Amino acid sequence: MSLNPQWWSVDPLEPFRLGSRLIPGRVWTASGCFAYGLTGHDMTAPGFDSPFIGLGAVVTKTVTPGPRQGNPMPRLVETPCGALNSIGLENVGLEAFLRDVMPALETRGVPFIASIAATCPEQFGEMAQALQQTGGGLRHWHGVELNLSCPNVAEGGHDFGKNPDTIAACVAAARGPLSDRALLAKLTPNVGDIAALARSAAEAGADAVSAVNTFVGLDVDLATGRPILPRRFGGYSGPAILPLALAKVDEIVQKAGVPVVGVGGIATAEDALKFFALGAVAVQVGTAQMRDPFAAAGIARRLHHPG
Amino acid sequence: MAGPGSSPVCRCRGEVTGNEHVCSGLIRLSLALPREPGFVPGQFAMLNLPGPDAWTFGRPLSILDWQDGVVSFLYRVVGRGTAQLAALKPGDQVTFLGPLGTPFPTEFEGCKVVLVAGGVGLPPLFAWRHRFPGSTVAAYFGARNGEDVPWSLLGPDWQIGVEEFSDGSPEHVRRGLVTDLLEVDFPSSEASPDNVILACGPWPMLKAVHSLARERRWTCWLSLEEHMGCGYGACKGCVVPVNDGDGRWRPATCCQEGPVFDAERLAWSELE
Repeated sequence: MSLNPQWWSVDPLEPFRLGSRLIPGRVWTASGCFAYGLTGHDMTAPGFDSPFIGLGAVVTKTVTPGPRQGNPMPRLVETPCGALNSIGLENVGLEAFLRDVMPALETRGVPFIASIAATCPEQFGEMAQALQQTGGGLRHWHGVELNLSCPNVAEGGHDFGKNPDTIAACVAAARGPLSDRALLAKLTPNVGDIAALARSAAEAGADAVSAVNTFVGLDVDLATGRPILPRRFGGYSGPAILPLALAKVDEIVQKAGVPVVGVGGIATAEDALKFFALGAVAVQVGTAQMRDPFAAAGIARRLHHPG
Repeated sequence: MAGPGSSPVCRCRGEVTGNEHVCSGLIRLSLALPREPGFVPGQFAMLNLPGPDAWTFGRPLSILDWQDGVVSFLYRVVGRGTAQLAALKPGDQVTFLGPLGTPFPTEFEGCKVVLVAGGVGLPPLFAWRHRFPGSTVAAYFGARNGEDVPWSLLGPDWQIGVEEFSDGSPEHVRRGLVTDLLEVDFPSSEASPDNVILACGPWPMLKAVHSLARERRWTCWLSLEEHMGCGYGACKGCVVPVNDGDGRWRPATCCQEGPVFDAERLAWSELE
């Protein structure tokens, strides 16, 4: 199949405007799937492939106001076409993110968008304020993605991410301090009317919505007859959800007309192109990035040099 | 930025050059790779099938040997992924991401090093033995019976413990758990605190090795096995509880901070 169809005239390696911010490219890594864009491994040695060349942005692993230990093991279940995860928002906390992660990404020149989660609108506002204070002078920090839909934590997250009014309150609280950075709201697909959530986020000041987060799933250990994951449910991702995510993105574009960053099941350049065909302004690569740290950058470069 | 090991991570395709049983339960897989950035014993690689047959996540396999462009691993068939690995034929392609993970330390000045391997946990110790032949004082391998011992890999310089002993076994083979052999060869009354023990194997063996090392005040490094997602520290799917000395435990990624851990750093109460 051609990667250069007639309807496709965009170069995903060209910077594009999202709100008032110029983002370096249209293929990103999804939050939670590429840590903080830095792992302890050297993946940028001269003469070796780079996971960053061509990458529009790393959406960093969600941070919460304080550090979190995350859920007990096991945290992952592999399925034939995807994976269930229940990591539980393990993260270093906002303070360490501001102190260690942001300067390191800036120094290395990795474009990034900070994913944050909180339990109420006020907290989202405080976190955005702290990010703006620390990151205001950074060239490579491009924005904030509100994680309004992580299904793996008991408080906050998933449930209030289903309510258009709470979404609006969270977006508005974070918008205030973020004058010149992009603001995205990441939406859960586990609702009846995702377009209503997108509309609500956009009206409150989000520059785009990221759609979608994982679908609720469960797997059973036949040896014990019980769910494999200690919290029973996990977030289902991977190639299996690609058509489901495409449908949600289409619903948002058609009904709400809100800019969408498409995410869900992308493993190849062809998969990414399908989101662009529906009108997505950018895409994120998640589970495939876990399998291959070079996945998103490779997809971006294939779309840049079709064929 | 320096990685946990000394080598950059390479992602490439390898061609299967061998995939044979070395004993009843263990298979040695060899891949010819276009690159050879080097590795340190204890490091592993994520292997996967190329193209649309790829598993959602690769399979982490510890590196047994890597020279002249050929890297090899040992594995046991335990599930869907390893069953598909076992079906690979010479000439088949496999994707390779590695070397990954924090390896065993390589220098123990003035110390004698005891290597302890159980079953499929052999690769990192085998690699260490070959890389640093001069510093090892003794190497041990444990298995259920003689059929589970990869004789072609283990010379008479390996002490072998088998639970089911058969008459006519070679001289360096004894009946018992590998930790029973260690108790005999290194009585705690003659403990030398300068010794270091490096081990990889089933969990009960690692626990026994750790308590044996504690009694003798030996330094003890353990290579752990854990189900992994990404294998390179990104997904936080393979955590192990560790103590950082502040009285609280925290989750450490087995794939990046490990798989080799100082046994004293593990939060044993959380592991039970």
